[in-house]
Amino acid sequence: MPDSICPVTALIRQLEETLHAGRMANPWNRRIIEEILDLLKDVAWGRAGADHLPAIKELAGSLRDEPLSTAGVETRRQVLAALAEHDEVFRSHVATHNCATRDCVKLAPAPCQMACPAGIDVPTYVSLIGLGRDAEAIEVIRRDNPFPWVCGLVCTRPCEFMCVRGRIDTPVSIKFLKAFAAERALSERRYKNPPQEPDKGQKVCVIGAGPGGLSAAYYLALKGYAVRVIEALPVSGGMIMVGIPRYRLPREVIDREVAMLQELGVEFRFNTRFGSDVTLADLKAEGFAAFFFAIGCHSAYKMGMPGEGDFPQVLDAIDILKRVALGDRTVPGKKAVIIGGGNVAIDAARTCLRLGSEEVTIAYRRTRSEMPADEEEVEQAEEEGVRLAFLTIPTGLTGVAGRLTGLQCLRAELVRKEGSSRMSPVPIADSDFVMAADVVIGAIGQRVDNSCMTGLQGLEWTRRSTIQVNMVTMETSIPGIFAAGDAVTGPATVIEAIGGGKRAADSIDRHLCGIPQPKMPPVPVRRGRVEYFEIPASTKMVLKRPEMPLLNIDRRRTTYQQVELGYSENDVREEARRCLRCDICLRCGKCVEVCRDKMGVNALQLGYFDFDHPVKTDFRITAERCITCGACAANCPTGAMQIEDREGERILSLCGTILNRQKLLFCDKCGATLGPARYLDFIRKKTGAVGPVSTDRRICDACARKESAKVNVDIMPV
Amino acid sequence: MVFRRGQRVEVFRKSSDEGWESYMDEYVGAHGIITDPDTSINDPDQLVEVSLEGKGTHRLPQDCLRPLVE
Ligand SMILES: Cc1cc2nc3c(=O)[nH]c(=O)nc-3n(C[C@H](O)[C@H](O)[C@H](O)COP(=O)(O)OP(=O)(O)OC[C@H]3O[C@@H](n4cnc5c(N)ncnc54)[C@H](O)[C@@H]3O)c2cc1C
Ligand code: SF4
Repeated sequence: MPDSICPVTALIRQLEETLHAGRMANPWNRRIIEEILDLLKDVAWGRAGADHLPAIKELAGSLRDEPLSTAGVETRRQVLAALAEHDEVFRSHVATHNCATRDCVKLAPAPCQMACPAGIDVPTYVSLIGLGRDAEAIEVIRRDNPFPWVCGLVCTRPCEFMCVRGRIDTPVSIKFLKAFAAERALSERRYKNPPQEPDKGQKVCVIGAGPGGLSAAYYLALKGYAVRVIEALPVSGGMIMVGIPRYRLPREVIDREVAMLQELGVEFRFNTRFGSDVTLADLKAEGFAAFFFAIGCHSAYKMGMPGEGDFPQVLDAIDILKRVALGDRTVPGKKAVIIGGGNVAIDAARTCLRLGSEEVTIAYRRTRSEMPADEEEVEQAEEEGVRLAFLTIPTGLTGVAGRLTGLQCLRAELVRKEGSSRMSPVPIADSDFVMAADVVIGAIGQRVDNSCMTGLQGLEWTRRSTIQVNMVTMETSIPGIFAAGDAVTGPATVIEAIGGGKRAADSIDRHLCGIPQPKMPPVPVRRGRVEYFEIPASTKMVLKRPEMPLLNIDRRRTTYQQVELGYSENDVREEARRCLRCDICLRCGKCVEVCRDKMGVNALQLGYFDFDHPVKTDFRITAERCITCGACAANCPTGAMQIEDREGERILSLCGTILNRQKLLFCDKCGATLGPARYLDFIRKKTGAVGPVSTDRRICDACARKESAKVNVDIMPV
Repeated sequence: MVFRRGQRVEVFRKSSDEGWESYMDEYVGAHGIITDPDTSINDPDQLVEVSLEGKGTHRLPQDCLRPLVE
């Protein structure tokens, strides 16, 4: 093993090579090596604990002899020898999270990938989509998220908030690109499951078929476990099926992606409620070795208003949405008032409109700028005719003979309370009024319905009434029982539930294999390094994020058809080209510094490099000032900035964006490359040589030396 | 403080809330963007989702966050 390479990285590479080359025929050995690799990667990424190294040794010791080769013995020897020989280095990786050679620096994923709660390698899949390789893009996404189509339509897209392109103009439309690729790959029948690991002979039970449960089920099935999903409802999908309305997420999208799990052998038991239809003891008796709970937040907070229990026309948003999702189309009332300011309130309001309510109003205590709902959703609701009543505090309900007639309200103003930076709505005296309503729908939040969990002795809960877990492993206070999703975080998002489910699947696997758990949350894994596509600086600057075409307004007010119609193929491919490839350019700023401070040229106007104070970026400026000296490229640590001579030109590019191309000049005598005129002028000025290059004859230094030597010889007296 | 989606914030101190885990200590000083505020009732007690530069996306208690002046 050469000294220059870190022994941890070297061992990882050797083991990966052994696996990929198929040297290990025995499936037991292959699994052990994979487990050793998982642990070694923890070591390399600073996630290991004290028990990692002993566990690696133990696993290596359990490698068996191969029937026809010495690969098993050799690998065992190789691992044990590396640990013995470099004991100090391995231990220092664990204790100090440091690697002297810097081979094991944490991979530096792009900001969008870092921001994704499931850690999807965004730049890799966006680039693949740009190249028209949609099915490959889906393969990349599904390594971290089994539901690209669902997320392509409803994800809250933290990635786009962190997208570096947003510092120049608008973020790359990451979410919609994903939806396009998923739809295309499915329609072309190229949306495939990856191969499963061999059967591990153990069973895991998942409780709850929402995105959290389904994500865990998918990754556990891929790891070779027999998985059963228990679901109280008659359908899978959880809140994405019975919360999110069909005009945002068609049922077929969920069904098609869930069917991919059935193909992996995941068994579903619908209409089965844990805690009443089946208990932990029953499941243990059936041989389940580990449990994963993702039961979501399905119990609505009550509004606590006088009269709330007196009128059957006072409903919870999640109940009405669930009923509609399961097929009920009863008009809830002519005048519907929804209380709340979040996404659930907006979904309930838009659903009422589609059911036939004539007047739909959202009553919210604060102002538009405090509304937690997604801006685009609010805009779409308003376009459809939903009215927003801000600074409105509901105080009670009025009705006649058990029939609701109105919502009593007070007007409010926002006031900063003493000792608080928070503006709070304060009722204005004598401002009470009644808002006419024949149905009032509360959308003020949900919590975990923990009634099904009372039989779990020793299960700890947080003060927010969510399941207490170790957020790194998702294990609860009961060993062997894991949990994630809304039941752990409180009402959150689809992608967080998916990320939690994936993380739990990994921990369940470690738990069942008896290998140590990591101490830090996982660092997202880069899934590839796709080649750049070349694009002129001007195109890179002027390409704009496309507008999403929407269904016509009449249909939006009357039907459940999907509102967002999706980008055209051309829009998708162009949009992908706006990506800055932050997986390769780490925005360290060395190029800008060297060009400005060392060369004194200052040709790189890359203001987006700074997160806190981004200033103007213009890729086109470079062509005006750059002398193509290549100092920036020579100092780029990642190969993002490149300079090359091609077809008579010197081309400077940043992740494929052509910043400058200059015609090359050649030696008139020998044809050797001299460089572009601007570069030669610069050198001449610096070295004090007189006269521009662009005079009649250009020759290289070697030919010039030869010529002057010849002249000297010619004139030398004999 | 009611945090808005897209708002720039700083983790300016540790939180004593049980939602704060020891591995989060290294986030103090980090800057980020609110990606999912409490989506129903602006409850100051709820965890909010924040994406921290270079450190991933996490649900943090609101008392450890303050807005960055834009
Ligand atoms: C109206 C609405 C709109 C939303 N819109 C968005 C959005 O646009 N984007 C976004 O990212 N997020 C959105 N969310 C949030 C998102 O849907 C949830 O965060 C996500 O579904 C949580 O996933 P989960 O797997 O933890 O739980 P859930 O999706 O809630 O799934 C839990 C499942 O467990 C089942 N279950 C519960 N108890 C039992 C039991 N005892 N036995 C068996 N099964 C049980 C439930 O029936 C359910 O199917 C929305 C939520 C709502 C309510
Ligand atoms: S520009 Fe591309 S790589 Fe950079 S953050 Fe946005 S999507 Fe990710």
